[in-house]
Amino acid sequence: MESKVKEQQSIPTSKVQRAAKFISTGAKVGGNYMKHYAKKVVNPSMTKEELHTNNATDIYNSLSQMKGSALKIAQMMSMDKNLLPRAYQDKFTMAQYSAPPLSFPLVVKTFQKSFGKSPDQMFDTFTRSAVNAASIGQVHQATKNGKKLAIKIQYPGVADSVSSDLKLVRPFALRLLNMNEIELDHYMGEVEERLIEETDYLLEVKRSREISEACGHIPNLKFPIYYDELSAERIITMDWISGKHIKEWMDTNPSQESKNQIGQALWDFYHHQVHNLKQVHADPHPGNFIIQEGDQLGIIDFGCVKVIPEDFYQGYFALIKKELLINQKDLDQIFYDLEFISDKDTETEKSFFKAIFTEMISLLGKPFHVEKFDFADDDFFNEIFLLGERISNDKMFRKSRQARGSRHGLYINRTYFGLYNLLNQLRAEVNTTKPEWLK
Amino acid sequence: MEKAPAKKTTKVDQRTKIITGYVEYVLEHGKQPASVFKFAKELKMKEEEFYTYFTSFESIKSAVWAKLFDDTIGNLESQEVFKEYSAREKLLGFLFTLVEELKKNRSYLLSLYGGNKGIKNILPVEVKTFRHKFKDFANEIILEGKETEEIASRPIISDRYDEALWLQVWFVFQFWIKDSSPSFEKTDAAIEKSVNLAFDLMGKSAIDSFIDFAKFLYQNK
Repeated sequence: MESKVKEQQSIPTSKVQRAAKFISTGAKVGGNYMKHYAKKVVNPSMTKEELHTNNATDIYNSLSQMKGSALKIAQMMSMDKNLLPRAYQDKFTMAQYSAPPLSFPLVVKTFQKSFGKSPDQMFDTFTRSAVNAASIGQVHQATKNGKKLAIKIQYPGVADSVSSDLKLVRPFALRLLNMNEIELDHYMGEVEERLIEETDYLLEVKRSREISEACGHIPNLKFPIYYDELSAERIITMDWISGKHIKEWMDTNPSQESKNQIGQALWDFYHHQVHNLKQVHADPHPGNFIIQEGDQLGIIDFGCVKVIPEDFYQGYFALIKKELLINQKDLDQIFYDLEFISDKDTETEKSFFKAIFTEMISLLGKPFHVEKFDFADDDFFNEIFLLGERISNDKMFRKSRQARGSRHGLYINRTYFGLYNLLNQLRAEVNTTKPEWLK
Repeated sequence: MEKAPAKKTTKVDQRTKIITGYVEYVLEHGKQPASVFKFAKELKMKEEEFYTYFTSFESIKSAVWAKLFDDTIGNLESQEVFKEYSAREKLLGFLFTLVEELKKNRSYLLSLYGGNKGIKNILPVEVKTFRHKFKDFANEIILEGKETEEIASRPIISDRYDEALWLQVWFVFQFWIKDSSPSFEKTDAAIEKSVNLAFDLMGKSAIDSFIDFAKFLYQNK
């Protein structure tokens, strides 16, 4: 009897398969490094770019086959563009758009499990194949009573595999993000929490509705309506938002006013969430934004929402105050509060990290220091990129034996990086509003 | 004339009574009855009457499996979209529906096959009818797949495809028996992935072109 219980609890097959997948990628990446150094002996002028491209391809291939949280991590790494060498970025940006789809019988089965009905019985029309891939699910288009709907269906087993996927990704994250283990573990907990939340579609519907209602007053924003009776744990039904993704829209050569209008809507959307709602759509990747006729910005996918704790909020945003950079004592206190430096650091470490963080903050806070900021300014982004590169290659940083920065910062940083990047893609000039207390 | 159908229903009833009685016995005792005599007594039936319907416990188990198959097919064909499915989707549909049918009998199947390591290597005798029925079904799919060129005809190997698909069904069953994920989601994933692999292997691929090319080179040497 006991042996039976044990047998039922273990699901080795899939885990072993997943591990094998990762190991083969690991071997390939290792191989790429060998190839790189071998070639370098022959041809010293070969750049690291080529190596990165090879690595990125192999890693992307294995991640996209695994789907689920691994794909999500690929997306995340591609979000933090400035943390990644350029070749990785391009490859990973692909992850934001496509992954191999689920078969229709499985879609039917998921519907039957949730509603006891097939999609054909529930909708007037229902596309047989996915029209779009989301990271942990896929999107089908349907119509009901003349209304166009988008239906998001989650891959089976994703919720279950989040934790084991994260463990498998760990060695790659170490390698790719140039982090040390302590730092990584510090953040992994936070990532895991968010990912598990993302697999809860009922929570997503609830949050989507909350945030879209709270942001309804902001001009030029469009949110889909969500349908409870057609949604379940693994299925979300909402209005179909038609329009173009940012990249496609930019190809149509919109006027500068249009670009600014979209950019401003985006900025206002985040401003209101961060400073008033204290919870934020923390997944600003291009696939979640759709530009409609009349320069309206449609926002979808509230899977990843970060609630900002009050004390973290105070400290974090106090940093963007311009005059703060002059007042050394206040600054030190904030660095302590946000866990950038601690008592475990030596004096040299303290002054080193303080210098770096001050530089980082004055750079990232730049848009906040002026009334209007032109995000088309590529020099600004290059500066961020160079700084990111410098930091991730810095010996002092890599050897540092503790995690730097509060875990809450992870998603807030990601949100702002993402927002800046989107605005940069839009080439928009934006009124960078800030709350009263920061003026 | 009127009597014949009436007689038939009682006959079916007795048959079903034995099957359900057997399943219940296994569910409650965790093992099969000690002898046909004891079992018949429990059903308040004479032993020789039992033999008019079944000759052994194996044949009852076999009937349970056959019923699983028939229910699966019945369920599948009631779904309108099934007719429009491609060969790959038909097999997927079959397996997903089968798992649903299996779920209704999980405890029964677990107590018979749960702790049994042997089923990996030797197919239990009672599953043979099920296998036979499935192979007929699989051959239909394969024929259809060949027509639509989803499946490549290859000498010798393609005659064994039905056997390969059967192994896949048996793999899914074993996976499901051990699956402990909520609502057997892992089994769904296993089905999806293994069927895709099977059809990718059966479909026209680089290997076919390679063999074709190699043959050409050999003949023109």
